[in-house]
Amino acid sequence: MKLFKISSLIVLFLATGFSYSQEEDQKEERVPGHYNNNPFKQLYEEFSTPNQYRSASGAPGPAYYQQQADYVMDIELDDKNKKLTGYETITYTNNSPDVLDYIWVQLDQNMRAKDSKTPLIESSGTAPADMAGNFVNQYMGEGFDGGFNIESVKDDHGNDLDYIINRTMMRIELPKSMNNGDKFVFSIRWWYNINNHVNGRGRSGYEEFEDGNRAYVIAQFFPRMAVYSDVEGWQNSQFWGRDEFALVFGDYEVNITVPADHILDGTGVLQNRKEVFSKEMMTRYENAKKSYDEPVIIVTQGEADEASTSFDANKKTWKFKAKNVRDYAFASSRRFIWDMMAVKVGERDVMAVSMYPKEGNPLWEDWSTKLVASTLKSYSRMTFDYPYPKAISVHAKNQGMEYPMICWNYGRPDKDGSYSERTKYGMFGVIIHEVGHNYFPMIINSDERQWTWMDEGINTFVQYIAEQDFGEKYPEAIAPNKKYPSRRGPAKNIVSYMSGDQSSIAPIMTKGLNTYNFGANGYSKPGTGLNILRETVMGRELFDYSFKTYAQRWMFKHPSPEDFFRTMEDASAMDLDWFWRGWFYTTNVVDIGVGEVKKYYVTSKMTKEVKEMMTARGMKESDLPPLVYLVEEGSDDFEESMRTSTLDDVSTLQEYIMDNLSPEEIAKLKKPTFFYEVTFEKPGRLPMPIIAEYTYSDGTTERVTYPVQIWKTSDQSVGKVIASEKEITKIVVDPDEETADVDTSNNTWPKRKKLGKFDSFKEKKVKG
Amino acid sequence: MKFFKITLLLFLFPMLVSSVSHKFYVSMTNLEYVPEKQTIQIISKIFIEDLEQVLQKRYSPLVVLNPKKETEADINYLKKYVSQKLKISINNKPVELIYIGKEYDIDMVNMYFEIENISELTSIEIKNKILFDMFPEQQNIIHIISPDTNRKMILDKDHPDGLLNFN
Repeated sequence: MKLFKISSLIVLFLATGFSYSQEEDQKEERVPGHYNNNPFKQLYEEFSTPNQYRSASGAPGPAYYQQQADYVMDIELDDKNKKLTGYETITYTNNSPDVLDYIWVQLDQNMRAKDSKTPLIESSGTAPADMAGNFVNQYMGEGFDGGFNIESVKDDHGNDLDYIINRTMMRIELPKSMNNGDKFVFSIRWWYNINNHVNGRGRSGYEEFEDGNRAYVIAQFFPRMAVYSDVEGWQNSQFWGRDEFALVFGDYEVNITVPADHILDGTGVLQNRKEVFSKEMMTRYENAKKSYDEPVIIVTQGEADEASTSFDANKKTWKFKAKNVRDYAFASSRRFIWDMMAVKVGERDVMAVSMYPKEGNPLWEDWSTKLVASTLKSYSRMTFDYPYPKAISVHAKNQGMEYPMICWNYGRPDKDGSYSERTKYGMFGVIIHEVGHNYFPMIINSDERQWTWMDEGINTFVQYIAEQDFGEKYPEAIAPNKKYPSRRGPAKNIVSYMSGDQSSIAPIMTKGLNTYNFGANGYSKPGTGLNILRETVMGRELFDYSFKTYAQRWMFKHPSPEDFFRTMEDASAMDLDWFWRGWFYTTNVVDIGVGEVKKYYVTSKMTKEVKEMMTARGMKESDLPPLVYLVEEGSDDFEESMRTSTLDDVSTLQEYIMDNLSPEEIAKLKKPTFFYEVTFEKPGRLPMPIIAEYTYSDGTTERVTYPVQIWKTSDQSVGKVIASEKEITKIVVDPDEETADVDTSNNTWPKRKKLGKFDSFKEKKVKG
Repeated sequence: MKFFKITLLLFLFPMLVSSVSHKFYVSMTNLEYVPEKQTIQIISKIFIEDLEQVLQKRYSPLVVLNPKKETEADINYLKKYVSQKLKISINNKPVELIYIGKEYDIDMVNMYFEIENISELTSIEIKNKILFDMFPEQQNIIHIISPDTNRKMILDKDHPDGLLNFN
């Protein structure tokens, strides 16, 4: 081995000598120093310091705590006057080590108050012309008042409590400071005017049908406790209408009074089924509990039609109890059709439920409940068994919104019952997505007001997996597609967003209110990023284990972004700081390509270049040990005969082999005859593994993945020497487009002509 | 009450995106110069829902873009709108975009156009104002490819024009 050491030493020496002589010509300039700008720099500055509440492993720490808020509520829906009234008693438990002098309660409906500031922060422009009606509405109207009317706030002895309302947040003064472990019981009486969610856009409200009936989907409808935590203190950032919620876990007891002819379902277990169900409905319900493949109709379209013809002045109260939920929502209408089926999750049976007006059919009775069931199975596999007793999908026009055990979903066929692919996949996607939200953020209860991606992004990622599962389980639902055509998830679908104008892209780690392209930023990009981690960076085994660890560690708790990032590394032994930094904390893009490809031949004859260097240093060939030289094709030393020569013709190499290796060892030697120096370039700042596919002259291919650490010190380009027994005819970087490379025009060597999508379309068109 | 609701609609629409709103107001237009054929081939990828909305607002609330439902009139509205909003000049001269056809891809439509008789290419000027009249956030990304060029331009409401010189 000594020989090789000397030779490499000399080669090194030659190389350094060469670079010195180059620099001599240049004028010396003092380059200023710099901070560590390496893309692999650890995230110590960005991450909060681990502490007793949150461990460096990403798990809850030994002193982790969370508050609790239990609710008892009596709600009445006045269908005639479109008014909702409530009386609620909240038992709030301070599990924090801090002493609290006041508490914050969220009044989300105040976003719809007459004096709401939401419209004031919307930028608007004038149009050169406007329809007279629009003009009147915009500049001359008075506005709808949908804010809370708070009638009383009292302690459990009936004494009034002091409070002030700052728009969507109410601060209640505590008569006595709360210490760790203290409970405070208080009640609020309130009402508000229900808004039309179709015209006014909104996540809660009613849709009015041509027959004058309404379908109500009611959410964030009651004063709700704000979160107090080790991370934020009170999370009392205002609700402007977009950034969703931060909510406390608790147990709920809710009695909802509605017209007697309404059908209602909501969060929790129905306590008085026999009182509110007809005998017929009870029988169907018992059948539904035993039906695992097909939904059983509980209320038929005919029954709903019949109920819709009159308006029952009598009332009925539906009573629910829900354990360990962070919120409450319900839907009610006399127009609802209702179906259910059972789904096995682990050892338990969960009910998959759908409620829809007839406008949803035929799509809804065909697919909604099956989508719910399939989604619960997929998410349970990726995280933990669904812990709640049911999951309901309610059809509401234009809506896609989630609450514990219940969600609103769009997807409405045309009046004649036909529907486009867009409507169908819109409905499939939204149901999977919203049902999936039962996990993120309903159970893995992140702070949506602050971090959109922690629920939307992570959920979009699992949605992708659940969509693919659904397509496999129900091929007839997606025919003629072979694979469910997911919009979000595949890396190449995020390219148009990531390659967009940098001035309108925000890093994912930005509060939702301040991001542009909310959907791409909060949903697609983080969702796609996790898919890239799973498929390309970590591999499914490591990723799935770590992802499950995160979900299980933070089930029924409040995770922060670091808890996710840290857990993914803690459970996988993969340093992913470069990925979090690049994909979540910056707006950098991936662009990796093949640069120069040089071809070399091996010879024992000293090349001119080396000869010149030797002469400059006064050395003779005999001073050197026997060396092997690499000659670039087309260089001065290149001779045509080299093309056909083999390693057997290189005398220095042969001598070495014969003197040092046994015949057995010689027999095992590879005999490469083609040598390439491939330069991979990285115009994009975001590092990624290099996935290179080499195609050989015999048509075979070989794929090599160079780990991302190949960019550890060089951020621009790296060289790789490839020794091969076969000639390389083609090199493609990222052949399956799995890294979100924003410019694939540099991904192929030799440069390839783009595929003729246009020509094939035109040809098809001409042929008819 | 009707007009109050509409007021709210106008004010709140951009704020109250639903939880899964796809909303990402971007279209992609590829222009490829093919010297052998002396043509420029154009593929424009646009969200159907957004196009449908703008056509309904401009022309008729009955417009549908849906392969099973649409009428000749709907397609004409679509062609009319796109030809008004997408203008191209080659070598400083406005050129005609020949409509080849369109295909739906779930929630996107791909529209195909061709520009003929381009024997030499010195400049491309493109104005793409599609959907700017409806969505202030809309960005139209233009990708220009020729045997020795690969350039991306991002057009928005404030900068609806892009010019690329080839010399």
